[in-house]
This record gives sequence, structure tokens and C-alpha cells, in this order.
Amino acid sequence: MEFEAVIGLEIHVELNCATKMFCDCPNRPGDEPNVNTCPICLWFPGAIPRFSQEALEKASLLCLGLGAELQPRSAFDQKVYYYPDLPKGYQLSQAHLPLSRGGAIDIVDEEGNPKTIRIHHIHMEEDVARLVHEMEGRLPISLVDFNRAGVPLVEIVTEPDFRAPHEAMEFLRALRTQVRSVGSSECSMENGTMRVDANISIRPRGTTQMSTKVEVKNMNSIRHVGDAIAYEIGRQSAAVQAGEAVVLHTRLWDPDRKATLPMRAKFEGPCVPDPAVPAIELSPDWIEELRAHLPEMPAAKAERFAAQYALTADEARSLSSDPEVAGYFEALIEQGTAPRTAAHWLTTQLVPAVRDRRQELGSSPVTPARLAALLRMLAQDEINANAAREVLVQLFDSSEAPEAIVSARGFRQVSDPTALDSLIDKVLEAQPAAVADVQSGRGKAMGFLIGQVMQASGGKANPKVIRELLTRKLDATS
Amino acid sequence: MDPVFFYRNPETPHARGGDLHGLRIAIQPNISVAGWPTEAGSKALVDFTALEDATVVQRLRRAGASVCGSTRMSEFGFGLQDSKAGEALRQQTADAELVMDLMGESRLAASRAAVCGFKPSYGLVSRFGLIGLIPSMECCGMLSARLRSIRDILKAVAGQDELDFSLPDEETPDFSRRDIDPREATIGVIAEAQDTLPTEQQEMFRASLDELKEAGFSLRDVSLPDFSLFSVVHRIIGSVEASSCAGRYDSVRYGHREPGARNWNDMYLLSRGAAFGPLLKSYLFQGAFFQFERYDAYEDACRIRARLLADMQRLASQADFLVLPAGNCAASGALPTLAGTYTQFASTVFANVTGQPALYLPPASDAAHPGFQLAGPRLSDALLLAMGEHILNIRQGGK
Repeated sequence: MEFEAVIGLEIHVELNCATKMFCDCPNRPGDEPNVNTCPICLWFPGAIPRFSQEALEKASLLCLGLGAELQPRSAFDQKVYYYPDLPKGYQLSQAHLPLSRGGAIDIVDEEGNPKTIRIHHIHMEEDVARLVHEMEGRLPISLVDFNRAGVPLVEIVTEPDFRAPHEAMEFLRALRTQVRSVGSSECSMENGTMRVDANISIRPRGTTQMSTKVEVKNMNSIRHVGDAIAYEIGRQSAAVQAGEAVVLHTRLWDPDRKATLPMRAKFEGPCVPDPAVPAIELSPDWIEELRAHLPEMPAAKAERFAAQYALTADEARSLSSDPEVAGYFEALIEQGTAPRTAAHWLTTQLVPAVRDRRQELGSSPVTPARLAALLRMLAQDEINANAAREVLVQLFDSSEAPEAIVSARGFRQVSDPTALDSLIDKVLEAQPAAVADVQSGRGKAMGFLIGQVMQASGGKANPKVIRELLTRKLDATS
Repeated sequence: MDPVFFYRNPETPHARGGDLHGLRIAIQPNISVAGWPTEAGSKALVDFTALEDATVVQRLRRAGASVCGSTRMSEFGFGLQDSKAGEALRQQTADAELVMDLMGESRLAASRAAVCGFKPSYGLVSRFGLIGLIPSMECCGMLSARLRSIRDILKAVAGQDELDFSLPDEETPDFSRRDIDPREATIGVIAEAQDTLPTEQQEMFRASLDELKEAGFSLRDVSLPDFSLFSVVHRIIGSVEASSCAGRYDSVRYGHREPGARNWNDMYLLSRGAAFGPLLKSYLFQGAFFQFERYDAYEDACRIRARLLADMQRLASQADFLVLPAGNCAASGALPTLAGTYTQFASTVFANVTGQPALYLPPASDAAHPGFQLAGPRLSDALLLAMGEHILNIRQGGK
């Protein structure tokens, strides 16, 4: 029997708010354990949660960025369970009245066809404390870090629209791009600001039945999500083929064994409305005002870039997915760089160079103004592309203007025919075989000769002028 | 061991001035005062010391009152079986008391001590620093022999608090003294509220109605057929909220820890089993039952609560105030049960379900008139207190 997988994702995204969700403690993940705590996030007797306006705004922006419909009324519930990471015995979450419903992300499936993944709803919740399991001698101990307790989260719950690991990975990449664009979170699975649970079931291909699902957790990269889903589809298919029943439970992805391992029966505690946090009522005016703050989303930006700057669809997409890159690109154009040149230099030169140096584009010493000045010299044939690449390297370490670097280091290219004449003559004399090849119509040898002259000039010659001079000389002698 | 006070403030108050200048106020040990033992009557909080002042305490002190100590209370303020509320007034060691009102405790304790007892509108007084059990029902009640003191206390503590976002965004009512004209006030009498009263109390209640008529008020019979459902709704929703609220008492950072546990789960179970008293434990069991097994019944209770609220609003269009029996502080046996406790509070619990203010007026000192309860629509607190003052004035021969 052939099976098809039915997959839904639940994605926890940690919002990059300055404070926690219900108190003024800083939300700073890297700090020493248990320094960012107060009676509220430790839930001491008499404490009352104070819902953060910033958390509401960042969560709502995220919803709008994913095309979701903000609900006029939402409210917090208590998800009741007893565990050392939760000192009050319940987690504040929106189980019954979520912040938003609907929304979708468009992806491209494995066959290259467009596919829409629907979002069921997005709700807010507080994070719980972090447990660290260690050994004290031979005694296993667990430590609790309350810095994370009360950190604002949203949970994005998709419809079970995925059929393959590839689609889940594509969705997560697109989701990350969009959430970063609205500025609500960095969405890093490696740093734990994006955590993904996958609900996976299988059914005979062509049927519409909903089978028992298995929840898989503990993937810490988008690739692991794909691997875990692929593994789980294989495991469930083999089990069903062998006549075993799939039971509802939770499994953990083990990246070393590349396998999912059973963790526990899936726990569904009760969710009762919380009487302490007031219900959240969003007026249409408030929502529209927030929408006005919504930056242009990547898909819309890509479309505009392609149309406005005559870029290919691929170029437009790669420039628009990261808001920093997109902003840099438009800054270059504002400085007078031609769009195609800007696109090419940004994606093939600057972005990799910044990444190699572990810098951020926004804070890199190569500002749009400096790069634009460099590219202006290239466009006006004052330097050639090789020299431009070398000057770019120097721009990272020097605060001098690109023009000054070009002059001081002698990068200005030589376009004067009389200066190049003697070099060319020497090369022609030294390479009779190549000359013969060119004269018998073999084009490749021309490139070789240009390269030889370039080398002889120390990389400073203008390749266009070399080609002109070479062509003229070889035509004259043939 | 002091039979009335759980903790006495060792500091002698110094003159501060203000509306409450010189007033000695006893609180309960579930109201936080930084540095004071704050056990809320429960072993689950044994040796717990409050970290910050509750907003009510801050505001009382700012108005010049001296917070003289905390009196013994039932576990988390639920019921009156172990409560000494009202005793400090009787002993004259305090001029007023703050008493948590979960289902009518402040009004019933007032009846026990023959003083005035007031439960303000829900959302009028900050709950910051109050160790509660039923957040959507409870609020800080006030006891005093003088209604004037209750009015001054309410004026001092009521209003928005940046530490308690659960207070609705409303303007704080004007608490200044106002005059009542009996000819312009209609008082509703809920027929169904008398149904379950013993004969003796029915007679007392009729005497209260006569007193109001003689004072010149017009009485009007009104009907609320589901009056008995207030107790049912309170019992279901209250126990569910209590179960959540008490979830934090895990013996990890404070409170009683039972020895002998093999792991954390064991420690939770053993410590919680040993910490809570029998009445509270059955309440928490009941709440957990509705949370885990009968959530549908809890949802029904929430719907019925909304309907009862609408019913009460309908009555408010028929009468300015309501008069109700006082409640039954004598009913409890040696071993308190949930059923017995709810029977005691059958006449008072409505105001906790709806969030409206309610006032207990004690019997006249010459025993000519029995005590009774008055209630008004939400945020009518100032008028309700003025009504009380008007009636007490008449008893003293004023007009």
C-alpha cells in the first residue's frame, strides 16, 4: 500500500520584546541564570500579572504580517499542569479565544508548483522556566532558570496542509523571513527563538481519512525538522505495514541517532479562562493604525523590485527576503548605482564578505555611500572589476574614501593605447600559437591573450581597450 | 498565642494626618505588608513573609491610618470557621477591619460581631498584594461600628492602580457624603431570597421590611426565580478558580514541606496533602474535578453566571436598592463541610457572583430592629453607604 503523510506544524516564536509578558523584568536570553526575576514571574503569593502592551503590539504585527485576521476579542486561559518549570501550576495561554485566526504562506513544493499553507490560528502565551539537567558527582540533578519564565511567545498553528518534509522546511524558511521583516523576532531555531513541533500522521494515498497523529519535538534547525518528519513518515509506514497501530504520543528527535524516540503519552491538560488578566479588545482603529506600521512584506517587495528595477524574479526574491539586504539595495540605488550592478555586487560580493567577517550588513564599515562610490568608478571605467573587488576588501579595514584607496594603491586602470601598445606587442611575440588560433577563428584564444596582457599590466589594464587593440593588430597582420 | 490577633504590629504609629488619621485598622494575614508574616491561614504558607505592601495597605497608611495587626482567618479566607474577623472591634483593639469577602465573609462576620460590614463593587479596590483564592469573586471587605469609617476607608483605597491591570478602566466614583430622600428611593424585595430561610429568620426579615417602610421608603416585590443558582454557580466557578490559585503551593520556596519524598512529584503530593485543611482540600478536589473531568459543567456555570448578571441588571431597572436577609452565621457544625458552608452564605453569595456592592447593617442596639443586608447596582457604593447612614441615623432619633 502506498501512504501519504498529513503534517501540521505548531511553531513557537519568542518575541524580541524588551520585557517579559506579564512583568517588567528584562527579556534577555543570554544573562546569568535567575537574575531577571521578580515576584510576578516567580508567581509569589499576591502577585498580579500585568500584560505588556509591547508584547501585544509585536504579536499583533506578526499576525498582520502573516495575513491573519486579528480577533476583536481574545483572552488568556490557564493551561493547568504541574511541573518544576511552572511555579504556579498553570501556563497563561490563549486556548479558547486566540489573538488571530486564518492567514497563509505561499511556498513552492518539490515539483516546483506553488502551494498555499493555511494558518489555523495564532495565539499568545508565556514561556516557562528553563530546566537544565546535570550531574552532581553521580547524582543527576535538575536546575531551574527563571529568566525564561514569562518571556512572550506566540504559537503559530498551521492546518495539516503539508504532505512532505520539503514543504515544511520551505514553510519555515518563508515564515522566518516574514517574521524578521515585521521585526517581531529573529526566529532562530539554533538559539531557541523559534521552536517547532510537528504533528505527523499517515494514510493510504488518495483517501481523506484523518489517522492518529504523533507529535515530534526537539528539532533545533530547519533541516532537522525535515529529517525528523522524513524519519517519522518512514517509521509509521513500516509500523502500519506490519499491522501495528499508531498511538497518540510525543516523540523526541535525536539528531545523533537521526531517529525519533518515544517521550511520553501526549498530555492535554484542562484550559480554564484566567480571571486575572483582562480580556484583550482590539478596536478596528487600533488594528488599522498598527497595519500602517507594517513594513512591506517580502513577497510584495520582490514583485515591486522586479517591476521597478527590471530584475529577474530570482534576483528580486533574493534581495527582498532579508529586510537589511533590501534596505541596503535601495540605498545603493539612491546613491546612483545602476540596479543590476547593485543587485550583482550586493548578492555576490558584499553579503558573502560581511558573512565571512561575522558582521551585520547594517553596522558594516562598508556603507551604501562607500560602495556606491566604488561602483561609480567601475561604471566610469576608472577601475576594472578585479580592482573593484580588491578595493572592496580594503574598505572593510580602512576608513579612507574608495577614491583615495584607488589613487594611493594605483588601482586606476590603464586605458591609454600608447601605454598598452608595447605590452601587447610583447605578448603577441611570446604567444605565436595563440595568435595562430585566433587567426584561424578559434575565439577562446582571444580570452587567453587578453589575460596575458592583463597579467603583464599588473591587473591595471582596461580589458575593453586591450580587446580593441588586439583585434585591430591581429586583423592587420592576418 | 493571641486568640484574636495572628500578628500585632510592634511599631507604635506616629501622627500622619489625613482622612484616616488615628484610625486603627486590623487586616488579615492574606493582605501583604512587607516584612509581616503572611500565612493566609494556611499551612501551605507557613513562615511566608510578604515582600511588598499591598496597594490597600499603602493607601491606608498614606491616608493616616495605623495598621495595627492581622487577625486570625480561615484557610485562604474561605468561610468563617477559623476566622476571628470582627473580634478586634468587639475588644475595641481596632476601629475597623479589612476582611476578605469570597462569598460573604465580611458581611457575615459583621453580623456575628454586630457591626457594619461592607463588600465594595468588584474592580473598585486593587487586589495587588492580596493572597486570594477566587479572583473573579473575591474582594477586600470592610468592617466597622461606624459607617463613616467604612466610607473614609473606601475613599482612601478605591481607584485605579498601576499594579493591578484587572481593575476596569472606569472613573472612581465620588465618595463624598450625600443625602438620601426616602421618597425617591425604591427598595426591591426578592421573593425567592426568602424561600429557604428558617421561620424565625423570615419573621426577622419581615421586621426589617417594616423598619424600611416606617423610614418612608417604598418597597416593591421583585422576582429572581433562579436566586438559588447563585450558590451553585459560585461553588463550581469558585472551586475551579481556587484549584488554579492553589496550584502554586508546591512547598518549594516557602510553606510546609512534608519530609520523606523520593522525587519532586512525590514532594508535591505529600506536601500539598499535608498542607491543606479538610474543607479547603475538598474544595480543591471539587475544582480539579470540574477542570479535568467536567469542563462542560464549568462552561455551563459561566453561562448561567452571565444570565444571573443580566437578571440582576433587570431588577436594577425596577428598584434602586435591594433588601436581603443577613445570612446565617450560626449554622455550622463542628466539622465544616462545603454544603454547610454554602448554606451559611446562601443570602450573601449573590453579590460575589455579580460583583455588586452589598452592605450589612447590624441590629439596633436596643434590639428594636434586627440586622439585614442592602445591595445596589455595581459602582453604587457611595449611595449604598449613604442609605446605611440614613437608616442608622433614624434609629438614633435623627431624620
